Amino acid sequence: MRIQVTLDTSIEDLVKEYPEAVGFLTRQGIRCIRCGEPLWCTLGELLEEEGVADPHQLVIALNSFLQKRD
Amino acid sequence: MKEILEKLQIKDVNIGACAGQEDWYEDPAAEEVVSSNPTTGEPIARVLQATERTYEQVLSTTVESFKSWRMMPAPKRGLVVRDLGQALREVKEPLGDLVSLEMGKIKAEGHGEVQEMIDICDFAVGLSRQLYGLTMHSERPAHRMYEQWHPLGAIGIITAFNFPVAVWSWNAAIAAVCGDTVVWKPSSDTPLTAVAVQHIANRVMADHGLKGIFNISIGRGAVVGERMINDSRLPLISFTGSTQMGRRVSEAVARRFGRTILELGGNNAIIVDEDADIDMAVRTILFGTVGTAGQRCTTTRRIIMHKSIARELTDRIVKAYQQVTIGNPLEEGILMGPLVTKGAVEDMMAALDKAKEQGGEVIYGGNRLPDYGEQFVEPTIVKMPAQTEIVHIETFAPILYLLEYEDIEEAIHLHNEVPQGLSSAIFTKNLLTAEKFLSHEGSDCGIANVNIGTSGAEIGGAFGGEKETGGGRESGSDSWKAYMRRQTNTINWSKDLPLAQGIKFGD
Repeated sequence: MRIQVTLDTSIEDLVKEYPEAVGFLTRQGIRCIRCGEPLWCTLGELLEEEGVADPHQLVIALNSFLQKRD
Repeated sequence: MKEILEKLQIKDVNIGACAGQEDWYEDPAAEEVVSSNPTTGEPIARVLQATERTYEQVLSTTVESFKSWRMMPAPKRGLVVRDLGQALREVKEPLGDLVSLEMGKIKAEGHGEVQEMIDICDFAVGLSRQLYGLTMHSERPAHRMYEQWHPLGAIGIITAFNFPVAVWSWNAAIAAVCGDTVVWKPSSDTPLTAVAVQHIANRVMADHGLKGIFNISIGRGAVVGERMINDSRLPLISFTGSTQMGRRVSEAVARRFGRTILELGGNNAIIVDEDADIDMAVRTILFGTVGTAGQRCTTTRRIIMHKSIARELTDRIVKAYQQVTIGNPLEEGILMGPLVTKGAVEDMMAALDKAKEQGGEVIYGGNRLPDYGEQFVEPTIVKMPAQTEIVHIETFAPILYLLEYEDIEEAIHLHNEVPQGLSSAIFTKNLLTAEKFLSHEGSDCGIANVNIGTSGAEIGGAFGGEKETGGGRESGSDSWKAYMRRQTNTINWSKDLPLAQGIKFGD
């Protein structure tokens, strides 16, 4: 894997390093690119804003998805 | 490519913090951002991003320069902006090419964007002699009352990738004649166009013995962007971007009682009425949906068409889409280039999945085009059974949703049902229908057109929208007022002290 994604990973880093994460998150109803630009917050802040019940579980699922793509 | 970069003084590695020809600020701790060509994925050049230290250097110069710039008479400031417009005319070709190279819009649109910069400079020069205030009749005898407009201060401009230079000029040219200095944070996806513009502005400033009027601070949103929106030395932040980011910007700036100009998301529709000129509508729809690969704030994202013409119009749009040439945006004859990033492609594909889940039928496109490059996609048309959740969302990609209506009230209801309110249009030959659409019971957008599309605004009008589009206005009309502070003055030329409202106090 290129980097381990955590709740502290910035969205700017995430979409640059793992563009495929955008599709994964959009399919979960979480949009980290708006108007073509990444949000300025961390993944944790975004998940909190979106009201994700278990952010840790989502990060595990995201890392697993990205690992398979790598 | 090398020739374009050389003409614009772009090097392999460029500095991202600058306040004048001799004022490029370096920091060994600066992180690099690589600007890549979305057509090929290959790197074009690198930029050393602003750090906390170099941001501070830029801001200090911007704030300091304001003190002398505001004292220069506005028509004299206009002459500096006139020269900026002239300098842009001289580099229209290479700068337009760089816009296409770095963000992927076609050459004609890249050059058009630079023309827009030139146009707004011309507008601003005229404006520099027309920063009018009103005079009022005082209710008190021998009193004169009037208002005047003063420069506001150092202004923060934060722009997006899709109009990497024009939006800066809408703000910077107007702010400059108003007596403000500006610091610009461009998109991290298009830093080179910003560096090129800074070189041009530096030459103009140097010719006039100036610095610190036009400044850049290129960097990550989480670093430079957050610093700017929380910096009380910037009384106005003009932000172009998404609704979600606009909310963050608005809250941060309001907390310190600053002002914002917000130009946020759009979800623009064209209503095509039963008596519309279908030929004109189809040509307009094609430009509005496919232009800039669907990545304009004013891109047409929804067609709301009368049931009686829906079949014919759909067939005609599909046929028009079949003629769209896709490829390298710098090549002649190409109508659609790549999306700006791989993430944008992923976002589009995920949105299409959602549309299909919600009953949408893809009637044209819907696929990636890997043979062209990783960031190429087909322009896509989706017929929706209703205006579902995904249609309410702005996906920054060439997806067009088709919806049908039976009467104009239903069309206007569908039109206004989305949370955004930027641009709108109707195609009709019926005067009553057109006027209804433009009336206060019609379109709720900041821009409403009849028999022309949603995109391709002229600089002379105020640009911006309502609801989640943010309410800001940039560019023409009286948008300049946002860049100045209004002062009401009353002068007593009598020997008495009458109070307003006839109040007697201690007499």
